[in-house]
Amino acid sequence: MSLTLSKLSKRYIGPDGSAVPVIDIDELRVSDGEQVALIGSSGSGKTTLLHLIAGILTPDHGQILFGSGAQQVDLAQLSEPQRDIFRGRHMGYVFQTHHLLSGFTAMENVLLGMSFTGRSADRKWARHLLEEVGLSDRLHYRPEKLSVGQQQRVAVARALANRPMLVLADEPTGALDAKNAQQVLDLIRNLCREINASLLLVSHDLAIARQLPRVLELSEVNRAASVIPANAVAEV
Amino acid sequence: MNPFEMVAKQMRQRALSTWLTLLSVMLGVALMVAILIVRREGNALFGQTDYGYDVLVGVKGSPLQLTLNTVYHIDKSPGNIRYQVYQDLAHSRVYRPYVKLAVPICVGDSYKGLRIVGTTPTMFGYQDDGTRADENHRFEYRPGRSFEVANGAMFNPNKFEALIGSDVTKLAGLKLGDTFQATHGMPAPTETPDIHKEVWKVVGVLKQTHTSNDRVLFIPLVSFYTIFEHGEGEIDREMIRRGQNPATRAKPANEEEARHYQLRPDGTIDLQLPIEDREVSAVLVRSRGDGGFMGQRLVYDLNLLPDVMAVNPASVMREFFNTFLDSSAKVLLLIAMLVTIVAAASIMTTIYNSVSARRREIAILRALGATRKRILGLICLEAALVGLFGGLLGFLIGHLLGAAGSIYMQQLVGEGMNWMAVGLEEWIYLAAVVLLAVLAGLVPGLKAYRTPVAASLVAT
Repeated sequence: MSLTLSKLSKRYIGPDGSAVPVIDIDELRVSDGEQVALIGSSGSGKTTLLHLIAGILTPDHGQILFGSGAQQVDLAQLSEPQRDIFRGRHMGYVFQTHHLLSGFTAMENVLLGMSFTGRSADRKWARHLLEEVGLSDRLHYRPEKLSVGQQQRVAVARALANRPMLVLADEPTGALDAKNAQQVLDLIRNLCREINASLLLVSHDLAIARQLPRVLELSEVNRAASVIPANAVAEV
Repeated sequence: MNPFEMVAKQMRQRALSTWLTLLSVMLGVALMVAILIVRREGNALFGQTDYGYDVLVGVKGSPLQLTLNTVYHIDKSPGNIRYQVYQDLAHSRVYRPYVKLAVPICVGDSYKGLRIVGTTPTMFGYQDDGTRADENHRFEYRPGRSFEVANGAMFNPNKFEALIGSDVTKLAGLKLGDTFQATHGMPAPTETPDIHKEVWKVVGVLKQTHTSNDRVLFIPLVSFYTIFEHGEGEIDREMIRRGQNPATRAKPANEEEARHYQLRPDGTIDLQLPIEDREVSAVLVRSRGDGGFMGQRLVYDLNLLPDVMAVNPASVMREFFNTFLDSSAKVLLLIAMLVTIVAAASIMTTIYNSVSARRREIAILRALGATRKRILGLICLEAALVGLFGGLLGFLIGHLLGAAGSIYMQQLVGEGMNWMAVGLEEWIYLAAVVLLAVLAGLVPGLKAYRTPVAASLVAT
C-alpha cells in the first residue's frame, strides 16, 4: 500500500504565542514496498513527520493518503480512535531507543504489538520474527537481560508483528555502535522485503541513509522544496 | 496478549506497591466482613427468639442479668427467689392454665471454672421417679430439641450424682464414674477456693447441644441444698424476708451440727431443710399456647409479686441486641466503611503514582495502536483486580476473624457462631469494593487517558 502526503503542514505555537512552522510539504510519495531514507538536521521536523504519518499527531492542513482508488484512506480525516486502530493494524514503529516494556519478555513484547489489532495473537509469527532477528535463544529474556543491540532487534520484530504495510523507523540505529547499527538496518530492510512493507527510515547518519534506494532530505528552511531525490543528496 | 495478562504483568512488576495496596484493601474488607459476621451471628446468638421456654422467673432486678445468667450461664446470679414460687408454678392450680412446664435451677458453685447447676430431672425429660416424661411434657432448650444422655444414665434426683455437658469432659477432664467436689462461687485465680466437702459422681454425659449447657455440670436440686453454706444462707435470708434478724438465730457450732441432711443406707439424701427455707435462682417456664397470650399474662401476674420478676428471654435479648450489640456494630461498620474508603484512596494514589512513572510505557502502548479508551480500561482493570483480590483476601481473613470470635464466644457462652456462612450483604459489600476500586482507578485512568503520546515518546 503506497503512502502519499499532499500539501501537508504542521505548525507549533511557540511560548510567545507565535506559530512556528515545522512541516510544510507539497507532496511526498512512498510506493508500495519502497524503502526510503529521510535525513535532516536536528529540529528539522523528521520525528514530527513520522508522528503525523503514524496518526499520533494531526496536521493543520493536508492529506495523509494510504493506498489508492476506492481503498484509499486519508488518515488526517479519521478520528483519533480510528487512527489508533489503523496504526496498530497497518503500521509498525521502531523508535530510536528501543522502547520495550521492561516487565515483559522479548516474546511478550512482540506479542504486545499484536494486542491492539482486534486479531488473535500469532505466536508462530512472533517466534519466527525473533528467530529472524537472531534471538531464538532469548525469547523469554526480559529487556534488562538483553544488550542494547538485542533490545533494538526485539523492537524491530515487534514493529513487524502485525505484518504492517508501512514501517516507520525513527533513528533505529542512533543508539548503536557501527556493527550493531548495520545488523539492525539489514534486519529491518530484509524483513520489510519479506512482507513487502514500505519503509520510511529517519536517520541523521548519511552512511546509513545512503544504503536505501531513495534518500530524501527534510530541509529546515524551505520545506516545500525539501523533499529531494537521493542523487541530489549525494551531490550536497 | 489479553488485558488480564498485561495488567497482571504490570502489577507483578510493581510487586511491593501492589501488595501494600492489596494489604490496605484486605484490612478494610477483613474488618468489615468480620463485623458483618459478628453482627449477623450475634443477632442469631443473642437475638434469637427460639428458646424452648418463654418465661424466666427470678428475683427482681435486671432482666438482662437474669437472662444472661440463666440462659447463657454468664454474669453473676442476681439472687434467689423462694422455692415456693417454683412449687406454685409447677403444681398450683392458680398457674396451671398458664404453665405447661416449670424447671427450677440453682446456681452458685463451680468446678474448675465451669458452672454447677442444681435442677430436677424435669430438665432432662425425666420424672423424679426416673421414668421418661411423655413427649408433651419434656423440657426443650430449643424448640423441638431436648437434652439427651449420650453416655451413662440420668442422675438419681436424691443422690450425689451428676450429669455433665458434652464439653465438660474435655474442659475439666471429668469422665463417667469420676467424682468431683464443688467450689463455692467462681473464685478468681488469685483467690483461695472454698471447696465443699460433698462429693458427686458423674453418672451421665449429655449429648452436645451447641449451647452454653455443654459446659455445665448438672446436679440434683436436693443435693445442691445439702451444701452447708447454701442451707445456712437460705435460712438467714428467709428470716430477713420475715422481718427477723438472722444474727439473733442460734448458729450451729460446727458443720456436722448444721448438716441439713442424712444419707440413707441406699445412698439417697434425706433432706431436712424445710421447704420454706429453700430457694432457687430461677425457674424456666414453658407457658401454654406457644408463648402467646398465656406467657404474657404469666409475666404480668408474676411481676405483681414482691421480690419476683418474670421476663421473656427473647424480648430481653432482642432489646439487648438492639440497644447494645447492634448500635456498637453500626459504629464499627461506619469505621470499617471509612477504612474501605481509605483503601480505595490508597488504590487511587498507588496507581496514580505508577501512571506518572509509566508515561513512556503508556505512550508506547498508544503508539502500538492502543486507543485512549483501551488505556483507561487497562488502568481501571488494574484497580478492579486490586479491589477484587484484596477483597477476596479480606473476605478470607474476615471469616478467620469470625472463627476466632466464634471460639471466644464458645468459651464465653458455650455457643459459637456460624462463621463459615456467607451472607448476601457480604457479597454486596464485595461487589461494592470492586466498584469502588474501579471508581478509584478512574482518576489515574483519566490521567493515563490524557497522556500526550508524541511528547512522551520524544521526552524519553
